[in-house]
Amino acid sequence: MLGKGGKRKFDEHEDGLEGKVVSPTDGPSKVSYTLQRQTIFNISLMKLYNHRPLTEPSLQKTVLINNMLRRIQEELKQEGSLRPVFVTASQPADPLSDNFREAQPAFSHLASQPLLPTDFVSTTPLESCLTPASLLEDDTFCTSPAVQHEGPTKPPPPALQPVKDSFSSALDEIEELCPAPTSAEAAAAQTAAGDSKDHASESSVQKPEGFPESRAAEPKLMDSLPGNFEVTASTGFLTDLTLDDILFADIDTSMYDFDPCTSATGAASKVAPVSADELLKTLAPYSSQPVTPNQPFKMDLTELDHIMEVLVGS
Amino acid sequence: FSGAGGGNDIQWCFSQVKGAVDDDVAEADIISTVEFNHSGELLATGDKGGRVVIFQQEQENKTQSHSRGEYNVYSTFQSHEPEFDYLKSLEIEEKINKIRWLPQKNAAQFLLSTNDKTIKLWKISERDKRPEGYNLKEEDGRYRDPTTVTTLRVPVFRPMDLMVEASPRRIFANAHTYHINSISINSDYETYLSADDLRINLWHLEITDRSFNIVDIKPANMEELTEVITAAEFHPNSCNTFVYSSSKGTIRLCDMRASALCDRHSKLFEEPEDPSNRSFFSEIISSISDVKFSHSGRYMMTRDYLSVKIWDLNMENRPVETYQVHEYLRSKLCSLYENDCIFDKFECCWNGSDRQVSFSSTHTIVMTGSYNNFFRMFDRNTKRDITLEASRENNKPRTVLKPRKVCASGKRKKDEISVDSLDFNKKILHTAWHPKENIIAVATTNNLYIFQDKMN
Repeated sequence: MLGKGGKRKFDEHEDGLEGKVVSPTDGPSKVSYTLQRQTIFNISLMKLYNHRPLTEPSLQKTVLINNMLRRIQEELKQEGSLRPVFVTASQPADPLSDNFREAQPAFSHLASQPLLPTDFVSTTPLESCLTPASLLEDDTFCTSPAVQHEGPTKPPPPALQPVKDSFSSALDEIEELCPAPTSAEAAAAQTAAGDSKDHASESSVQKPEGFPESRAAEPKLMDSLPGNFEVTASTGFLTDLTLDDILFADIDTSMYDFDPCTSATGAASKVAPVSADELLKTLAPYSSQPVTPNQPFKMDLTELDHIMEVLVGS
Repeated sequence: FSGAGGGNDIQWCFSQVKGAVDDDVAEADIISTVEFNHSGELLATGDKGGRVVIFQQEQENKTQSHSRGEYNVYSTFQSHEPEFDYLKSLEIEEKINKIRWLPQKNAAQFLLSTNDKTIKLWKISERDKRPEGYNLKEEDGRYRDPTTVTTLRVPVFRPMDLMVEASPRRIFANAHTYHINSISINSDYETYLSADDLRINLWHLEITDRSFNIVDIKPANMEELTEVITAAEFHPNSCNTFVYSSSKGTIRLCDMRASALCDRHSKLFEEPEDPSNRSFFSEIISSISDVKFSHSGRYMMTRDYLSVKIWDLNMENRPVETYQVHEYLRSKLCSLYENDCIFDKFECCWNGSDRQVSFSSTHTIVMTGSYNNFFRMFDRNTKRDITLEASRENNKPRTVLKPRKVCASGKRKKDEISVDSLDFNKKILHTAWHPKENIIAVATTNNLYIFQDKMN
């Protein structure tokens, strides 16, 4: 940070973060370039997800930060350090478990602890934590899949695994419509899909459109980010409302539903900009309450999906 | 600088400062926009609390030939109130983003003020007489008993203390999903545009229940959104032409005669990136925060994070002039990104247009703000620039401002300020130049400074 009035000593290592632009091709300075890139990446994430405004955050700022993240991820991808985006539900999370454990503290203590670069040495946990943008369009918080994935590895909450199964089964219908790369990814999508129907937001209409697209697309790493736009620049304005919104403008009980599956996304989806505090709230059930999933949830999910498809005609 | 009359540099002197003295800044007092009216007699400011304060210049005192009239408060009114968007559970800020004056047509003054969502047309009128001598009413307003009326008289107007009233004449609402960043009145003085992050709407000043969308860059799939509109302005002379700038450093010129929806630009102004300056922050610092046409309409000026650029409308591939505002910040971009300063939206302005040498361009000086309450001026003719500070210290009326200098690196000379000592909370985002005279208004966080050139 820039000091105010204090005299700073010349620091030889400072160039790693500040100072001249380091090109990725420079030999010895490649490390500092990577460090710089990682730092910027983390800062960008913090900016997006630590925001707790009472008013809508600036769309321009969100766009610029997202572009920054995208660019870095594109670079990382090209450098080959990316692993496949989503882990299938069938795959045990063990190969990634250590990563998840590393990622876990970062996400669950978002408010109190800065994301450490070491948490993201492997980008996989990060990627698997990010939701496809279309899901974010439904105002679901992007870390909900992360929490899902953490389920298999961490003793609490065991509830997540059964939930995932219900997702997988409920997804069958939708998977007929378009290719689903991984069931886990679809599961992540499904979480959002199911919850988004609960609340009155135009994004619930947009979801089906973006939904099949994103699932069919390439690693969602980049796609996941811009979804923030819908979260933050919610299109739920009168001019953008359609009949479907009014149809689904039913009671949003997601805030009061303490099922960890729905509360994770529902609570977050109710208010467009998600704050660290809200994240903590949504994560709390996961870590402390082993709640069994409810069957009705599974069935509602299927039905609602079906209705959505019919309405949107996808 | 070269003044219009000869080779004398402009010497800027402190004239006035408005606003609270204490360092504890009330959020509502943060100035968010500054604008002179077309004659320069009135100076309007908008703040974060939704208030508009208008200052009026005193008539020049003939005996005090060494200074121009002072600006005193003329009218204060609450333009916008905070609102709540129930659909999104978010507050709508009452902060005034922009004020634009209409040219004066009669005794009253009109201005447009806007917050993030709603534009309002305000009428500011003076009342200095009132009718007296009604037949049916007493002076205090009570009705007289008709039976006591024995004679009739004609009410007459008698002078009273000047009262300045502001009343909202039009409210242009519900046309913007995203945050309004610009309003611009057309040269036809009948229509105006309002721009938000993704759309630009065209309004008629008389019609509030309808507006036409003329630019829409919202992608069908919001996932694909990578660029937003940052500023827009009508051409000063061609009522069919306007420009809008983007977060990617481009400016598009559109002609409304081409189609109803101007999604295809007529001209695209973009400077290719300098590969030697490429960094992670290249895109962010290229984002244009302000665009202003010159009075002739031949040139336009844009402000991005580190520089001011002058564009010739006839040349799209690069600006004709570029001025570095605070290049020493280029090595600090990471920190400025972290503390969000990199997103600060600085405005820029041309000097007034009246006193000009005939063969040179209409405007010779451009002004813009920086940090540490510094502001910068660039003389386009001499290519000289100056850094001045808006501060209450050492500023007595008619004291000439001392040029400031920032030391980028190496040994700091006496009176220089090192980059690390700059106060990034003291930013000058809004400046305005009197349309006819060398009087400038510079807004710090919550104070308004007025400087004049030294008259001999």
